[in-house]
Amino acid sequence: MTLEALLQSKFGYPAFRPGQKEIIESVLAGRNTVAMLPTGTGKSLCYQLPGYMIEGQVIIISPLLSLMQDQAEQLMMNGEKKVIAFNSFLTRSEKRQALINLNQYKFIFISPEMLYYESVLSQLKKLRIALFVVDEAHCISQWGYDFRPDYLKLGEVRQKIGNPVTLALTATATREVKADIKKSLGILDCSEFIYSVDRPNIALTVEMTDNFRVKTERLVELAESLEGPGIIYFSSKKMAEQSADLLREKGAKRVMAYHGGMDQESRILVQQQFIHGQLDLICATSAFGMGINKDNIRYVIHFHMPLQIESYLQEIGRAGRDGKQSIAIMLYAPGDEQLPIQIAENEFPDKSQIDWISDWMEENPNSILNVGAYEEQIKQRSGLTDIQWRIFNDFFERKIKSGMGYKRILQEMNGYCEDRIKLKRNSIEEVYKWIHKKNCRRENILSCFDEEKNSSVQFCCDRCGLQFENFIRNTKSDNQDRTLYDWRNHLEYLLIPGE
Amino acid sequence: MHRSYLKTVIMYCVNELQGQRTIYSILHLLNGKKSSQTIQDAHLFQLTPLFRSFGNLSRGVLEHLAEEIINSSWMTAIDEKHYILTAEGKRELERSLLECPIPSSLNGWLYHSTGELFWERITLLIQVISHLNYNNVKYLPIQRKRDVHEWLKDFLRTSGFARNEVGVMLYRELGQCLEKLSEINPAVLTLRLTGYNRIGLTAVQASEQLGISQDYYHHQFLGAIHHILASVRENSAEYPLINKIVSGAGNAVQLTLSAQKTYTLLKQGLDLDDIAKIRRLKKSTIEDHVVEVALNDGGFNITRYVSEEKQKLILHAASSADSLQLKQIRQIVPESDYFEIRLVMAKLGERQ
Ligand SMILES: [Zn+2]
Repeated sequence: MTLEALLQSKFGYPAFRPGQKEIIESVLAGRNTVAMLPTGTGKSLCYQLPGYMIEGQVIIISPLLSLMQDQAEQLMMNGEKKVIAFNSFLTRSEKRQALINLNQYKFIFISPEMLYYESVLSQLKKLRIALFVVDEAHCISQWGYDFRPDYLKLGEVRQKIGNPVTLALTATATREVKADIKKSLGILDCSEFIYSVDRPNIALTVEMTDNFRVKTERLVELAESLEGPGIIYFSSKKMAEQSADLLREKGAKRVMAYHGGMDQESRILVQQQFIHGQLDLICATSAFGMGINKDNIRYVIHFHMPLQIESYLQEIGRAGRDGKQSIAIMLYAPGDEQLPIQIAENEFPDKSQIDWISDWMEENPNSILNVGAYEEQIKQRSGLTDIQWRIFNDFFERKIKSGMGYKRILQEMNGYCEDRIKLKRNSIEEVYKWIHKKNCRRENILSCFDEEKNSSVQFCCDRCGLQFENFIRNTKSDNQDRTLYDWRNHLEYLLIPGE
Repeated sequence: MHRSYLKTVIMYCVNELQGQRTIYSILHLLNGKKSSQTIQDAHLFQLTPLFRSFGNLSRGVLEHLAEEIINSSWMTAIDEKHYILTAEGKRELERSLLECPIPSSLNGWLYHSTGELFWERITLLIQVISHLNYNNVKYLPIQRKRDVHEWLKDFLRTSGFARNEVGVMLYRELGQCLEKLSEINPAVLTLRLTGYNRIGLTAVQASEQLGISQDYYHHQFLGAIHHILASVRENSAEYPLINKIVSGAGNAVQLTLSAQKTYTLLKQGLDLDDIAKIRRLKKSTIEDHVVEVALNDGGFNITRYVSEEKQKLILHAASSADSLQLKQIRQIVPESDYFEIRLVMAKLGERQ
């Protein structure tokens, strides 16, 4: 069977998107491969399809639980039953069960922290691994915007399980990050497939507003006039909620908020309503959008400044997957850079918190070899947030295992956190500069990735000149469902087969 | 805060508690805390229907609402954190219960866990049937829990109902059952259902569509579910399919883990002192466990711990005392201890 025939029969797509076929062929030829495909161009197909052509298991390392869950579900929706997402969502007995039966699965998603467990590793060693996939591979790099310490040991893991053919996937990687990925995974001799981060069908604009109030008014105006569906990104759950409420008050009925603080059932429903066209607009935090297959998103608005260009690209990349013209709008008001700086700093434990923990450990030496057991106590007294605790705990556990004393670890942690914050500040600075630069926005972004803008783009950016009318809704959509709800009719529709 | 229905519920509890418990016992009750104290209080003060009916209510919100109720002079403190309703408060409670009655079908104590499981199962089942009806295989399941999926697989394979009949049967049974809801609009449930090309509403969306507050919606939603479960329980022959869906769901006795361990030892015939020694716990803790078992397991016989004769005395005292406080009962039956009284009261609560 040709690759194209398999693509049609297994996935129902008539043709590959740019890059997919080359990457798949490279993997099938047994070459280690680093692939950079922009968001929204079908990265996961690059390991799914080879999975059906080679014997043995496909292991996929994925950093985010929600993303992993989405990807596993996509596969299952496609009729693949031999899929498992091996992560902390599973109960202990489910984990045990899954471990015993690991060889019965074809696609095994694993979160990196699971690889700490010897029992997991030893089961992996017994498998015949056809392909080792590192998704979001930029997380491996200290330079990456989303560095995950757990990713650092993937090279070691890869070695332990017999150096299987490896595919490192990412949407955005600068030169340094790419070099880090190869070195860290031990695949210096790999094939590289790098595709432009540019998405020419997404117009880029930044709108300067005078203050928060004006920004909010403009948001309402945009939501009322732009051709949907659309997503508005916020940095805070509360703002996402409030804005959705505000827009509903203004008469836009089909708007909902989406964030990690909602219960799971509501999250699934809102996501599905959006995909099925029951909603036109989502007011979301960055928790929304990963793994969502919706082709016809026409606009993405950022109400708050993103923390780095890379995540900005990821988020706007959810627009226009169908190739049709779409637009990304960032709203800026003076002082907006303060919020991302605050968010970045709050991610890490600060010096006074670490000092406090140091004193506390001196008084409670029993805790040192078993900090995990003191989570609640430490969190409560030192005021560490969940994220801060995770960073603290990860770092501490890693170092204590290497035999380092706790005082030294905490000292190093101070330095580590300072470095990470500095790095994040630089990224924010980069976004800030990008907002204020006077020349082409696309050109600017591309230069961050050592790319040049070579094609002429029809609707490029506000700096190149852009007519807004092209993105305005032409029909005043009457989206209110006026039919009266009848519960019996609904039940009948759901349960009784139609003719 | 606009949570007037929740305030009504809190005032209702305050009224039933008659100042004998702190405001926090209401929090534990509505959260559904599985502690002996909470379970006993729920039975003693006949608040079992409300057990775990606001699982997410936080301490802060409760305190805030209590303050608002006090500021409206509907409630007054008689002791540290002990409150009673004022005359005005009682009138207000009566008025708001007329406007928004607590659903009479609500039965949190009996159905809280079965209800959650039933909802997970039935929403997934309906989604699957609907997609089968339209011959569509590509969709994302609305429930993610693995055990619910396992259950469904099993159900479709072993239920004994033909696949193409399940939808029709479920339509008939649900229709018949929901029709009998008198004070709740069946839409509180059906609006939330997902199927082919039609995704269900979230709780917030449903409450908005029905034009009721989120809190009141939540109780009506639970009330509708508990109504179904009670109907099936009373008349399983009429609802064979739903009965099958519910079977094996949460009927097991629910005990705290520690009480479970004690129960296992009890069943092996050990006495309380032995168990305390083995488990290295205080005897009073073991006694708490026994009370918990008595509250949870209808078949548990307490005669081993309280003689029939004493049981009668305590029951009599309970009916003559003007409040169900253990101290008062003890004054009437001085030869009994608190453990014995609590055990008898546990059984009494059950009969109510
Ligand atoms: Zn431009």
